[in-house]
Amino acid sequence: MALVRRADPVDLLLPGAGEGSRAASRGRLRRWLPIGIGLAMAVIMIVVAAAAPLIAPLSPSAQFSDSVLKGPGAIERHLLGTDEFGRDILSRIIWGARVSLEVGLASVLFAFVLGVPLGIVAGVRGGRVETAIMRCADMLMAFPTLLLALIIVTALGGTLLNEILAIGVALTPNFLRLARSLALTIREQDYILAARALGGGQLRVMARHVFPNTVYALVVVATLYIATAIRTEAGLSFLGLGIPPPTPSWGNILSEGRQYIKCCPWITTFSGLAIMVAVLAFNLVGDALRDLLDPRLKGE
Amino acid sequence: MLQYIARRLMVAIPMLLGAMSIVFFAMRVLPGDPCVAMMGDQATSGALADCTKNLGLDRPLAVQYVDYLWRSLRFDFGNSLRQGYPVSDYIGRMFPHTFILVMASAIVAALVGIPIGIVSALKRRNPLIDYPLRIIALLGLSMPVFWLGILLLIVFSLRFDLFPLIGGGDLDGVLAMVGSGEIFSQPRDFLAAVGDVLHHLTLPALALGFTLAATVSRLSRSAMLEVISQDYIRTARAKGQRERLVVYKHALRNMLVPLLTIIGIFVAIALTGTVLTETVFTRPGLGKMLVDAIGARDYPLAQGAITVFTMTIIVVNLVVDMLYAVVDPRITYR
Repeated sequence: MALVRRADPVDLLLPGAGEGSRAASRGRLRRWLPIGIGLAMAVIMIVVAAAAPLIAPLSPSAQFSDSVLKGPGAIERHLLGTDEFGRDILSRIIWGARVSLEVGLASVLFAFVLGVPLGIVAGVRGGRVETAIMRCADMLMAFPTLLLALIIVTALGGTLLNEILAIGVALTPNFLRLARSLALTIREQDYILAARALGGGQLRVMARHVFPNTVYALVVVATLYIATAIRTEAGLSFLGLGIPPPTPSWGNILSEGRQYIKCCPWITTFSGLAIMVAVLAFNLVGDALRDLLDPRLKGE
Repeated sequence: MLQYIARRLMVAIPMLLGAMSIVFFAMRVLPGDPCVAMMGDQATSGALADCTKNLGLDRPLAVQYVDYLWRSLRFDFGNSLRQGYPVSDYIGRMFPHTFILVMASAIVAALVGIPIGIVSALKRRNPLIDYPLRIIALLGLSMPVFWLGILLLIVFSLRFDLFPLIGGGDLDGVLAMVGSGEIFSQPRDFLAAVGDVLHHLTLPALALGFTLAATVSRLSRSAMLEVISQDYIRTARAKGQRERLVVYKHALRNMLVPLLTIIGIFVAIALTGTVLTETVFTRPGLGKMLVDAIGARDYPLAQGAITVFTMTIIVVNLVVDMLYAVVDPRITYR
């Protein structure tokens, strides 16, 4: 009977050395595998985008009148098929990676550079400065990212720079709010008091002591927002408000292919898949990093 | 409580005014003259001047701005440049389509997302359960709604011919039948019309609902993790209560407050999602109306749609914040 047989508490609490190290390595694998996979996917995407002129089998704008709307593999030179102008889908997707990643990375950088200093100033200074900054952020937060980006792009026109600006502005309040909440905690720390006691000016304290302590958490969030930015760019291009054709972007390839879903679903399928893989890569990295830093999940 | 609500209102009103100001000024810097967009390039300068005067665009910007704010508060957004009808009429006709899409996708998202989030949090130490669930959530989060929509159309509309390719069904007819009382006199016709609307609604709701379910599941997982790390859960377990009771009696009830946050975030994401979903499924609604208005440079219509979107999000967040105070008396506005 279970009640009679008493387990040795040492056996229960301390697993064997081999078992413990196996459990530890399993734990490490669980934590780092998603980051590894996500990072590998993201790096491959970035390399493909950077090396598009070398990797793409054909020019993204070259039209082949003899191979209009051909399926994947129907013609040897068009691995993923062609669109309504006979353009090579694979080459357009490879070149499209440039637009998506450029917008994704640059708009997050823009939001970071604009939002983080404002958030730190709001958090450290407090008072009216904080109220003014936060009310402006609240106003922008009233708009969902795509809607705000849509308004700005409509007003400025669909160019690469305007898309970066639009998505960057739309993401700025997120960085601002996070930087402020981190700064609010950090400003109460003893080392900030010590820095002030040593005569450090407010600007110096913010730049040398507060900012470096926020970077870690902000970079994790930035990774997740790259995914949001890529998805938003694709959404804008899909609505016809992004970079206009013939420059390929994943969103506009998908949008153009929509008219041909009945006969030629490969156009929308592959371009959508590219968007999903890119978004998934940055989500995987950001998600895993966030879990790694989540104090509630410590020790699991 | 009243003080909390009053203070929350004091924050919401300037936010609403600020958001409306952004919409107004963004629309004023749009490239192109609204009158040229409306009358074409061949219009004479006299006709253009008359049009500018009729639309009130010759007035100082400050006067136009105050006029816009005052009219918007009364849901008067002027007339559509293309169709000539009042924008508020358009919005009134399109809003029910968007509303039922948001509601249907909310049901899909809740039915899929909340259980996934809860199970994923409770079974987080079991990789065989947690991993697949988190992968599903990540895929949902990474899958653009317009792509999922197209895939559903390819499979269920084109391949198997189970659902319509475009349209939203005769929702106006259904609403008219409800209004005129035909719902009782001709129940068969009414049910057929409702069935048609639901038939048109299924794929858009699944597409939007599934992508939203990913967000809901992550927020539910977070909320559950928050709750099960509380002392009262440890106490419940320490006094020997069965795990099932701990979850159903203590954890799920206390998830209510964090789950309320989901509603606010959900409405914002869902409304944005309707812009893309309605475009993919060529479905009438506020989102498609906005995209069409931007394409046609119909500024009053675009301005009206964006204002309604923003107002809805701010009001929903305000209501959610007030509900916080109702369900959790410890919450006060600071």
